[in-house]
Amino acid sequence: MQVVLSLLQQMSVYLLIAYLFSKTPILKSLFTVSMRLPSKLTIYVVFSGFCILGTYLGLEMLGAIANTRATGAVLGGLLGGPAVGFLVGLTGGIHRYTLGGFTDVACGLSTTAEGLLGGLVHLWLVRRGRMETLFDPWTAVAVTIVAESLQMLIILAVARPFDQAQALVQVIAAPMLVANATGAGVFMSMIRDRRDMFEKYGQLSSAKALRIAERTVGITLDGLTKEAAEKIADIVYEETGVGAVAITDREKLLAFKGIGSDHHIPGTVMQSPHSLRAIETGEVVFATGKENHYACSISEHCKLGSCLVVPILADDEVIGTIKLYEPKTKLFLNINKTLGEGIARLLANQIISGRFEQQKNLLVKSELKLIQAQVNPHFLFNALNTVSAVIRDNPENARTLVLHLSNYLRKNLKRGGDTSSLREELDHVTSYLEIEQARFADRLRVRMEIDDSLLDLQVPTFTLQPLVENAVKHGISNVLGQGRILIRSEILDDGSVSLLVEDNAGVYDQAGLGSSGLGLGIVDKRIKNMFGQDCGIAVECAEGEWTRVRIRLPKRELVAA
Amino acid sequence: MIRALVVDDEPYAREELRALLAGHPDFQLVGSCGNAVEALKGINRDHPDVVFLDIQMPRISGIELLGMLDPETMPRIVFVTAFDEYAVAAFEENAFDYLLKPIEPDRFEKTLTRLRRVSGQPQPLGTLQIPPLAHIPCYAGSRIRLVRLPEIEYAYTDLSGVHVVTAEGASYTDLTLKVLEDRTDLVRCHRQNLVRLDMIREIRLLDNGCAEITTRSGQSVPVSRRHLRDLKLRLGFPA
Repeated sequence: MQVVLSLLQQMSVYLLIAYLFSKTPILKSLFTVSMRLPSKLTIYVVFSGFCILGTYLGLEMLGAIANTRATGAVLGGLLGGPAVGFLVGLTGGIHRYTLGGFTDVACGLSTTAEGLLGGLVHLWLVRRGRMETLFDPWTAVAVTIVAESLQMLIILAVARPFDQAQALVQVIAAPMLVANATGAGVFMSMIRDRRDMFEKYGQLSSAKALRIAERTVGITLDGLTKEAAEKIADIVYEETGVGAVAITDREKLLAFKGIGSDHHIPGTVMQSPHSLRAIETGEVVFATGKENHYACSISEHCKLGSCLVVPILADDEVIGTIKLYEPKTKLFLNINKTLGEGIARLLANQIISGRFEQQKNLLVKSELKLIQAQVNPHFLFNALNTVSAVIRDNPENARTLVLHLSNYLRKNLKRGGDTSSLREELDHVTSYLEIEQARFADRLRVRMEIDDSLLDLQVPTFTLQPLVENAVKHGISNVLGQGRILIRSEILDDGSVSLLVEDNAGVYDQAGLGSSGLGLGIVDKRIKNMFGQDCGIAVECAEGEWTRVRIRLPKRELVAA
Repeated sequence: MIRALVVDDEPYAREELRALLAGHPDFQLVGSCGNAVEALKGINRDHPDVVFLDIQMPRISGIELLGMLDPETMPRIVFVTAFDEYAVAAFEENAFDYLLKPIEPDRFEKTLTRLRRVSGQPQPLGTLQIPPLAHIPCYAGSRIRLVRLPEIEYAYTDLSGVHVVTAEGASYTDLTLKVLEDRTDLVRCHRQNLVRLDMIREIRLLDNGCAEITTRSGQSVPVSRRHLRDLKLRLGFPA
């Protein structure tokens, strides 16, 4: 009994050291069950240390040492796997061997065996996917009991003289079993508790960050406006639970939410030296209220006592700051500091992508203006030439042509608005085709088969025109005989609608997105913007025979005005 | 009498020129063609003094057509175009004049006056600044075929005219052997034959100093004594 107590006393010292150790960051690498070398090395070093420590803290008795060495070896094996366990045991074993005594060989051997045993259990559990069991203190207890029993058997088998060995085992077996099993169990439970804490902490802050990210999406599309700032301040205030949240641009306060909102009025020019410094340097400024003093620059009765100022950096330029405050009565949590920096990065990214989005829209708009303004001069002057010739023998026809030409030009120049009905599109196309047919007479045949029920369909303006112009250009310029154009609507069984423009030239220029591609590319982009990625333009081509450009639109009921 | 040919793919554009020319009895319209292939045939058949030529036409542009004409018998060219004035300016060296559509009658008068002045005089031979031909317009029966240059194995001329031969067989063309020699990479191997060097499989030397080429598809082409030396040099053999 005496031995049990003193061994447990030794164990207490041992566990105290283990507890202190568990407060260090090294512990983190123990619970990753990672197969990488650096973690394995850490486990080896740490638990070899504990092994040796167990030996030193042991009690000299009957020419041997009653000890808590097994704890280190078993845990090393359990956490690090067979190879690490074996090496930890071996290291501990060799160290024990050098101390001598009649059990030196037996103890050296058995420690190695204990480490290996822990490692084998690790392997067995990992293979079965039972990671949780690995961190269960009871697993450590059980394995240690088996390991210590093994050690006793080894002592009986190896240590000589046998009588002395037997006497020793009788005295130390029970105390060592109890002490080592308890030690291993408690040590493991320390490791597990630390791990759970880390996980919970991590989960909590990442859940918060994710919720903030989710709720702020799209708010800053137009940049850091007053409205956007107010919404973001509300969200951050709700999610982080800090005393107050402020968002500023480079000069003034845009939004404020929380304690002190009576005197932190949005629109006022910033005076706080912390904010000014953050804006000037682009660095995070943290005024904890202790060594780096924070005092409200507006009112001396302000309850706020600490402040974090994070600059919002878009393209290396500070465009504003986000500030988190805590009142004098509360400590500023570290987690909120990391969170604040994360939110600033998030906002910066959103603002940058908002800028990008805006520029993209501008680009599409100006591209559209370009095709709109792009009345092909060749077409225009040839049309006028045709009119001039037709006047000679048929003034009435010439008048009709002039009207078509006017209609075509007017539509090209004036059609504003993003969408038009299919009827308007066809009207535009018809005027164009009337002139082309006059120009080329027999060399151009146009067939139009459009379902009347689709005429009110809304499509992006200038959807059909560029495609038809393309088809005519190809049909006329690449066929020595007759160019044939077919414009047809197709309603599929599932109700989705497509418009087909087919010519008989079969010229494949980069899926129709080559030279004439400016037009087709924009049409495709605009349709996708309006109806989604499933819609758009598809080009099929049988070289020398036909080209089919299909505009896929969504189901009819969705596009009808 | 000045003989004129009109080439334009738009019927009303041809009609317009016909009407403009009709007021000038010293000009005779010998034909009007809707594409370059017809034009080539018309020019070779009727030998007009002047061709009013549209630039943008199906398959073969007016400028490409220029490259298919024999420089020796080249008529005077007046480009007629809707908007290609820059392109025309670039090719001005090859053209006598150019007109913009719709054609102003006064401007047209000036062109006719210039044509009257040079009528009967030989045309100064300018150097054609035209990209080499990419395909050769041919007739296969009643159909028009555009044969791509790399497919041609050789070309020959006989009593019926000029033919280009591909692995699939021979097709008649309106281009002369001289134009083919000047404007393509076909090489003269005989007074009546041109051959594409990379289509030669073997050259068999004959006793009389002549030779015979076998092409990739197994057709034979004669080589005259006069051209054998040059041919061997081109292929990298010592003459």
